[in-house]
Amino acid sequence: MTTTNRSAGPAGVVRAGLPGRTLLRVGPISLLIRRRAVLVAAVLTVLLLLAVVLSLSLGTPYVAPADVLRSLSGAGTPYDLVVFDLRLPRVVLAAVAGAAFGVAGTLIQSVARNPLASPDVIGITQGAGLAATIALTSGMAAVLVAPTALVGGLLAAVLLFALGARHGLAAQRFVLAGVAVAFGFRALTEVVMLTADPIDGLRAQIWLIGTLAGKGWTEAAWIAGTLLVLLPVLAWAGWALNSTALDDDTARGVGLRPVARRIGLAGTGVLIAAMVTAQVGAVDFVALVAPQVARRLVRAERPPLVCAALLGALLLVLADLAGRRLLAPTQLPAGVLTAAIGGPYLIFLLLRGRRRSS
Amino acid sequence: MLSTRDLVAGYDERTVLDGLDLDLPTDAFTVIVGPNACGKSTLLRTMARLLTPRRGTVLLDGTAIRDLPTREVARRLGVLPQSPLVPEGVTVADLVGRGRQPHQRWWRQWSSEDGAAVDQAMALADVTDLANRPVDSLSGGQRQRVWIAMTLAQDTDALLLDEPTTFLDLAHQVEVLDLLHRLRSERGRTVVAVLHDLNQAARYADHLVAMRAGTVVAAGAPREILTADLVRDVFGLACVVVPCPVTGAPLVVPAYTGGPAAPPAGAPGGPVVVSAGAGDPSSSTASVPDARPPTGDAANPLTGSYPSKGL
Repeated sequence: MTTTNRSAGPAGVVRAGLPGRTLLRVGPISLLIRRRAVLVAAVLTVLLLLAVVLSLSLGTPYVAPADVLRSLSGAGTPYDLVVFDLRLPRVVLAAVAGAAFGVAGTLIQSVARNPLASPDVIGITQGAGLAATIALTSGMAAVLVAPTALVGGLLAAVLLFALGARHGLAAQRFVLAGVAVAFGFRALTEVVMLTADPIDGLRAQIWLIGTLAGKGWTEAAWIAGTLLVLLPVLAWAGWALNSTALDDDTARGVGLRPVARRIGLAGTGVLIAAMVTAQVGAVDFVALVAPQVARRLVRAERPPLVCAALLGALLLVLADLAGRRLLAPTQLPAGVLTAAIGGPYLIFLLLRGRRRSS
Repeated sequence: MLSTRDLVAGYDERTVLDGLDLDLPTDAFTVIVGPNACGKSTLLRTMARLLTPRRGTVLLDGTAIRDLPTREVARRLGVLPQSPLVPEGVTVADLVGRGRQPHQRWWRQWSSEDGAAVDQAMALADVTDLANRPVDSLSGGQRQRVWIAMTLAQDTDALLLDEPTTFLDLAHQVEVLDLLHRLRSERGRTVVAVLHDLNQAARYADHLVAMRAGTVVAAGAPREILTADLVRDVFGLACVVVPCPVTGAPLVVPAYTGGPAAPPAGAPGGPVVVSAGAGDPSSSTASVPDARPPTGDAANPLTGSYPSKGL
């Protein structure tokens, strides 16, 4: 253990006095960063870019990666229409939605102290699903489905907080309240579904599974806008997540307000989850898997926010690509694919029998 | 440093402290003792603002603690709760670093002072060699030293510890208490701890606070207040108080209560029939030999107890 009285200038990178950390200094800002997280983030970024190019290239017609890059650089190729207008919006949406799910999952799992907590475990997905089902089966205009679903997701969030806040949003209570909310909304959704016209019911079913087909810039803009507005909060969250592992008494002892902190983190998480679910449906297995895989890659004691976002983006881009191509021309909803990846992972997690959240 | 005024505190329906007034001395090692459920932990938790009192105030250097921002309090008062949850996979240096929280902001996550304080705290608590080990892989004694290091890294004038020696073996208990003693004597910190072991309390405390049923029965230097009468009053236990052969501090030895080994004839303290609930005084005959107060005669170590006046 070496002492840390290095006097770096106004900007610089120094090894901090903590194992595996580096201090990044820019003016008055100094951020403590895990060196391994930087490495993982770099690798994930490269993989994400490769997946994006691959996704823009594969399909009918096939566009050679070189032509994709030429089109993207604005050189003007015969494939501009395919790349820009047909494929890019959906790929960008997949990346943005995946990143948002990764962030939401990280926040929710950290507050719940449970690697299995995700937006569909705590009822946000079901709230959005019920609202979307009502919208789709009552002949509402298509543009109103997403806003309605957002309202449903937020309603579920309000209910979740009302039920969970009584005991300071303690981990156990938070998850239990969420499970109750999820069951309630799911039951109501089934009722709506059964009483609806079969064709509408099918459309609702597809929405519930979650698909990116026929979606693009608008949805991506809503999600990216939400993340952008919440960026200052997320910057704080990246730091605040460090202390969610401390119990409440210890946290208070070092001058934190654990309940306010949990409400802030969980509130941000469910807000993002509600928004992204409203736009693309229940693709939220990404929210379950991305944080935990990112955590293992970084070898941290808690999910890392940025890496989880990058991994979420990568997963959803790949899942959407696989959904488009596996049974082409039939398109599988991305939600099916993420569930197919997430299912085995869940079993793996359970078999490992981690003694977490005790 | 720390005082309470008309403090009323408790959990749910139960009132544990009912109008407590107490002043704890600055730059001293204060130990709070008392039977289970007497309110000693409640008192410590309330003073540490982990528990909000129903009425009354806790004063930190004369200011009501609830009027101070919690970060500000955390820069002046360190707290070690009774059994903190050990975060999974966190390294020792990392956990000790969390003690710097009140000195940090999300945009100023680390400074050279933080590094120096962490290094110093780890050296003081003798955990420097463990810096890169995960806390959940350590033994109980090591963990406790790590937690203490975390509160030391906070760099506060005062430290409150709730039963810091519980679950440790005797050698580790002494190690922790020696560390707390050094903090007081070498660093001038104010240390307040709840302890279960009366003899350790008597040995290490500058100031002893004896509690029973939410009230302070006696407070002062152990050599002045720790007597057989006090132990009987507070714990309902008949005992003999003799000077400790090592330190001369009062040493509490429970009287013979009909255990497996009968005391040798003429030994002090036995035989005694104790009915802890103190029902009918006539049924309990305590025959502790006549003796002088423990403060006087260290040359005769077996005469340090008051005559029992019956329960």
